[in-house]
Order: sequence, then C-alpha cells, then structure tokens
Amino acid sequence: MIVPLISIILLCPLAAFAVFGLFSLANRRFPRQDYLSTVAMLAALVCSFLLLREVVPTPEPHTVNWISLGGVTFSMGFYLDSVTVIMLIVVTLVSSLVHIFSMGYMHGDPRYPRFFAYLSLFSFSMLFLVVSDNLLGIYIGWELVGLCSYLLIGFWFEKDSAANACKKAFLTTRVGDVGMFIGMMMLFTKFQTLSLYGEGGIFAQAAAQLSTADMVWLSIAGVLIFCGAIGKSAQMPLHTWLPDAMEGPTPVSALIHAATMVAAGVYLTARMFPILTETSSLVIAYVGGITAIIAATIAIVRFDIKRVLAYSTISQLGYMMLAIGAGSYVAGLFHLTTHAFFKALLFLGSGSVIHAFHAMHAHAHDDEHEHAHEHEHGDHDAPGHEHGEDSDSGHILGSEIPPDQDMRNMGGLRRKMPITFVTMLIATLSISGVPFIFSGFWSKDKILAGVLERAMEWNSVHHYLLFVMTLLAAGITAFYMFRLIFMTFFGEPRNQEMHEMAHESPLSMTVPLIVLAILSFPVVNTLWFNKDYVKPPPQPHLHAPQHAYLAPDSKTGGQSVALSLFGVSEAVAAEEEGGHDTHADDGHHGHGPAHTIAMVLSIIVAGSGIFLSWLFYHRRTLSAESVATTFRPIYNLFWHKYYFDEFYDGVLVALTVWKSRLFAQFDGSVVDGIVNGVGTVTRDILAAFVGIFDNRVVDGLVNRVAQVTWAIGGKVRRIQTGAIQTYLFVVLAGIVLLILIFRAL
Amino acid sequence: MTLQHYLVISAILFTFGIFAVLTRRNAISILMGIELILNSCNLNFAAFSRFMTPPEDISGQIIAIFGIVLAAAEAAVFLAIILAIYREFGSIRPDEVDTLKG
Repeated sequence: MIVPLISIILLCPLAAFAVFGLFSLANRRFPRQDYLSTVAMLAALVCSFLLLREVVPTPEPHTVNWISLGGVTFSMGFYLDSVTVIMLIVVTLVSSLVHIFSMGYMHGDPRYPRFFAYLSLFSFSMLFLVVSDNLLGIYIGWELVGLCSYLLIGFWFEKDSAANACKKAFLTTRVGDVGMFIGMMMLFTKFQTLSLYGEGGIFAQAAAQLSTADMVWLSIAGVLIFCGAIGKSAQMPLHTWLPDAMEGPTPVSALIHAATMVAAGVYLTARMFPILTETSSLVIAYVGGITAIIAATIAIVRFDIKRVLAYSTISQLGYMMLAIGAGSYVAGLFHLTTHAFFKALLFLGSGSVIHAFHAMHAHAHDDEHEHAHEHEHGDHDAPGHEHGEDSDSGHILGSEIPPDQDMRNMGGLRRKMPITFVTMLIATLSISGVPFIFSGFWSKDKILAGVLERAMEWNSVHHYLLFVMTLLAAGITAFYMFRLIFMTFFGEPRNQEMHEMAHESPLSMTVPLIVLAILSFPVVNTLWFNKDYVKPPPQPHLHAPQHAYLAPDSKTGGQSVALSLFGVSEAVAAEEEGGHDTHADDGHHGHGPAHTIAMVLSIIVAGSGIFLSWLFYHRRTLSAESVATTFRPIYNLFWHKYYFDEFYDGVLVALTVWKSRLFAQFDGSVVDGIVNGVGTVTRDILAAFVGIFDNRVVDGLVNRVAQVTWAIGGKVRRIQTGAIQTYLFVVLAGIVLLILIFRAL
Repeated sequence: MTLQHYLVISAILFTFGIFAVLTRRNAISILMGIELILNSCNLNFAAFSRFMTPPEDISGQIIAIFGIVLAAAEAAVFLAIILAIYREFGSIRPDEVDTLKG
C-alpha cells in the first residue's frame, strides 16, 4: 500500500498543476483551478493520514533504477519512516489550509488561477523532497521548491520590490545549493551512490567503512551539505532573502516561508543525522544558535508585521538547527511540526489583518487593483536603501512600509477581528512557550532539555553556551511576539480612518485560522510524545569528546557547574542527583535534572519576556523610545539588521558590479578591439585580394564555359528542323544503318 | 503457304507504311501509313505464332488482336490531335507545323 499511496500523494498536486499547464498551452484557463488544486491537496492529505498505519519500525526504501551511467546506477525511490509520514501530514495539512485561505485572500487577483497552479507545483515538489530516499531526489525536490518560491515571491512582479526579492531569494539560496552539491559529490565519489538507506546506501556504507581518519572528510561533507540547508532555511549568513521574500502574497509566506520550504533545510539536516560528526554537529548547532539570537533581536525593532514574523521564522529555524546539531533529533523535528502550525497561523492571521486593511484601500481608491496600490509603497527592505542616521524612532522608514502592514497603524483590532485575534493569540502563546497547554512550549522545552542534557553529559562548554543561546532566544521571542500582539490588537486604534474600515475576514479565511489554532495545542501532536514512534537514528560517527572541558573528573562536577551557572539552587541539584546518567537518547528521557532545569528556566524567560513586553507596549510604564535612545548603537545595529544587507550590498554586490564593469571595459576595449581589428584586416586587405581573384579567375572561368556552350548551341540548333517527317527519316536511316553495321559484324 | 509468304507480304506492307509516313503531305495519309505498319506487325505475330509454336499456343494471335484494338484507340487519339492542330494552325500538313524548329 505504501507505493500507491505515496504515488497518489505526489500525483494529485502534480496533476492539478498539469491541468493548468495544458490549458495554458491552448491559451485557456481551467474554469475552477482553485477548487481543483484544493481538492487535489485534500486528497493528498487523506492519503497521508492513511500512510500513518503503514509505518514500520525498520523501513526499507522502495526504489526503482533510474539511470545507469557506466558502472553506476542511480535509483529513485521512496523512504517512509515515521518522520516522513509526519512531514507529509504537516505539508499536506498546511498546504490544504493555505489553499482554502487563499480563496479568500487572493480573490479578485488577475492571476488568481495561476496562483493555485503554483501552489500545487510547490506542494508536489515539497512532497517529492520529503519522500525521496536518495540525495538526488532530495536535490531535485530542493531545486523545484526553490523555483516555486521564486515564482511565488515574484507573483506580483509588477512591483519592483517583489521582482528584486524573488531574484534575491533565488540567488542567495543558490549559494548554499552549490555547497550542498559539492557535499553530495563528495559522498558520491566515496560511496558510488546517492541512496541514503538500504544495504548499499550511504549510511550503511559510512557506518561500515569509515575509520576515524575519515572523520575530517566526513565533517567537511556534512558541513557542505548543511550549506544547502543554510540557504534554504535562511540561516546566518544567507538569511537575508527571507525577510525580502515577504513581498510575496501572504499565504505564500505562510506556506513556503514559514511552514514547509524553509523547514526543508531542517529536514535535510535531520536526514543527514546519521553521518554527522562532532565537528559538523557543532557547526550546525552554532550556526543555528547564532541565527536564532540575531534574527530574534532584529525582530524586536521591526514595524512591518510580516517582517517581524519573517525574522521570527529565521530565529525558530535556527532553533531547530541548533537542536539537531546538539543531537536532539526528535526535539528538532518536533519543533519543526509545531512551528509549522503556529507560524503558518501567525502568517495567515497577519494576512487576515492585511486583508482587512486592503479592503479599506480598495474601497478608498475605488476599483484600483490590490497590488497596483501596493506598488506605490513596497521597497522596504530592498537592497541599496540608505536609512538615515537618526532613524531610531522609525519615522524615516515609516513611509517605506506598506501602511496596511505597518503595526503603528494598527491597534485595538481585537474588537474588530475577534477570530483573527483569538487565533493569533493562541499561536503567540504557543511560540512564546507559555507552559503546558500550548504545543510550542513542549517542543521548545524538549530542545532546551536536550541541549542541556548533552552539555551535562559531555561536560562541554560549547553546549552550555548553546543552551544559553537557546534560552536567550526564547526570552526575546516571547518579547517581540507579544509586542506584535499588543501593537496590533490592544490599545487604542492609532489610525482612526483605517480602523473604521477594518473588518473580520470571510469564512474561507477564518476557518483555516481556527483549524491551525486547534493544531497549536499539544493534544493533536501526540505522536511526538510516543517514545516508540519517532526514534532518532544512530550516529556512529559521533563520539563524546575525549577530554572534558569543564570538570575533567566527573559528570557531577559538570552538572554542578551548570547549576551554579544558571543560578539554580543546590537543593534542586541534590534532589535531581543521580538522574543525569540517563543516556541522551534524544529527548526521550523522562524527567531528568536537565529536563526540570530547562523547563523552569524556559518558563522564567518566557514569562519575563512577556512581562517586559506588557510593560513596554501595553502598560507603557517603560518607553521603548527612551530605551532606544539610551542604547542607540545597539538599537541601530538591530534596526539595520546587523548591516548584513549593507555588507552584501556594499561589498559583495559592489565587488561584483565593479568586477563586471572592469570586464565590460576589458570587453569593450581589448576584446572588441581585437575583433574589430581582425574585421578591418579581413575586409580591407584579405577581402580585396579574394575579390579580385573571384572577379577575374572564378567568374572568368564560369563566363568562358557559358560562352563555349552558347556558341556550340548556336551551331547545333540547325538540326532541329521542326518537320516530323525529317526526324522519322533520320530515325529510319539510323535503324537501317545499325542493321547494316550489325550484319557486317 | 509457308512462313516466308507471310513475311514477305508483311515486309511489303511495312515498306508501304513507312513510305506513306515519310512522304505524304497530309496527316490523314500518315495515319493510314502508321496503320499499315501496325498491321504488318500484327501479321508477323500471327504468322510466327502459327508456324513457330505448337498449335495449342495461340498467344501470338491474341497479341495481334490486342494490336488491332490498340490501333483503333491510337487512331482516335491521332485524329483528335489532328483536329487540335488544325484549329491551331489552320492546316494539317506536317511540314507546315514546325513550331519546334530550332
């Protein structure tokens, strides 16, 4: 049943796209592309749920040979384990809801059917990536989702900012993909296959053949493959494309740039889990950790509601990377799924808010097109924008944010849009890690506990540092998410005119919000709490470090260091003594000391983040402006997004442009000079000689032949008398002559 | 009557035919010459068939009959061509129709 079910899952969205393509060839439109795509997605969703029962503890890949080149055969196939099936459900579920949401959100767009066709193509690509059992298939899906991302970010390509953003996204991720391809080729040259699973797969071969001498090589390959994930999952330093990708329609941001495609990087890293070494794990964890913090701090100062969510996404993806790098396989993927739901919900909610304001604009500007009006604004984060020195109050940039996405125009919306408010609040509580009743708390807690446990077990200063990063990012996350909620839904409306016009969104938009809100509770994520359902694969190349970093004598020493580091009382330590010897089987520990500490600390940081946010943005006992003025350099750093864009713009882009100019000049003077010189020599000297030769010799010969023929013809024509009887006589005479000759012979 | 008799008569017919075709100044007379030639051929076929092959083999005679049919069809085409030529040139004298003269 596995293969037919997976085939249906893949073919449904592909067929929906193919219908669009075939109709386009005939210059027509399928009448209800939106229904077609949505139904295809729902069918895939049903099949994904049916697959839940097909998962076996030790799955085998289902493959067919695809291409044989010399002695090497590339196979294509499916691999279905518990992670695959969960990813399938997440992708199809979020995709279906986004389809439904888009029917409301994109209504009236001139390219409405095309939007759904692209969504279908994207869903197919993403599902293909998820079920592939080999790196080649993953790579194909990988590039396809990149293409769809490009098409959908640039969906409103009339806007310059959208056109620039899609190019930026495509090129930036390409940088990572090159690294990924090199990593794949490294594995290929070593193992002569790109299949991951099964007898001759990379994992089996790596476990069997590689010695400790190969670890450096394997680390490099792992990090290179992770480069692809850096690009796709918008990790530092290739994260700059994701905020700009918000130029796309909001449902796209929810589906591609929050829930699925950007999570593909995490999924790939998780798939590579068995060949990660200490070094590559650490690189992954650090990249994730640094990304989580940097993106979270940038999110604090954004005013564009979608960009806050974009940076939040980057930050959360960093979290997942960190989890996988720190060995918390299950926790990382758990957070991937919970994040997919609540972040999709946040994006759709923001879309609902934007839609409410959009409608106002459409009304105010009569029948002007939705995005035609956006065209006037846009260009907020487009590269090359110089922000003024004193932009800390944000007013200079204010004009660049579309007014319907600017949180400073919102406020008090909770009465106007109750459903959007409640659902977004649930998602915010979930992402902030409000304890016990929200899924985000459990997944985040699992990550924190996993990292801390690894730190205690290995006595590794790196992992303690990573743990601090996670905590810090968690606190900041809670802060900026509640900042968003307070600015948008609480307080007094700041723009009275806009507020008057705002309204709750239609049913097609609120229903997906409600469904996603339900999914933000842990009740529906029970699979992850089942210890036997998702098991981390073994990591044969990962060994605990030989020397302990902090306390070389015992683990207890390390633990006490940890406890004093985080200011937890000795009593807790004593109470949990002896619990730390549980092997780090990836978050499947019960309530070890690490777990308790992590839980307590995460509640504390989340609570303080929310409290601060409340003080700043609701009670207004603290003024954000005054704090910004006090810590102006830091504020500027956050405001300018750590100058990443400026750096890329000022160094990489400028360097490329300068190089191009140089080459252009070289082309213009040297290359063109040579070409023109050769041209002149040829025309004026060679061609003259050849011309004379042609005119005299060749033409002369031809003319002479013609003259001779003409002269002979003039003589011979006399034979042709036109009298039939003469001809006959000649014929008869000829025959008589022939007879006489043959007789004589 | 031996084969020689037939062949001699056939040869005489053929010669008359050729003479008519080469010398007559009237297209109709040329046609008559051609008919003579054809009939001399038919006569040869019949004669050879009679004298040179077993009595049950009559293929030569049959070819002669086909030849007669052919001659009739050919005469029709020839007359049609003559009519067309007459319309074009106002004459049916072959020496006056010399458009193909080089």
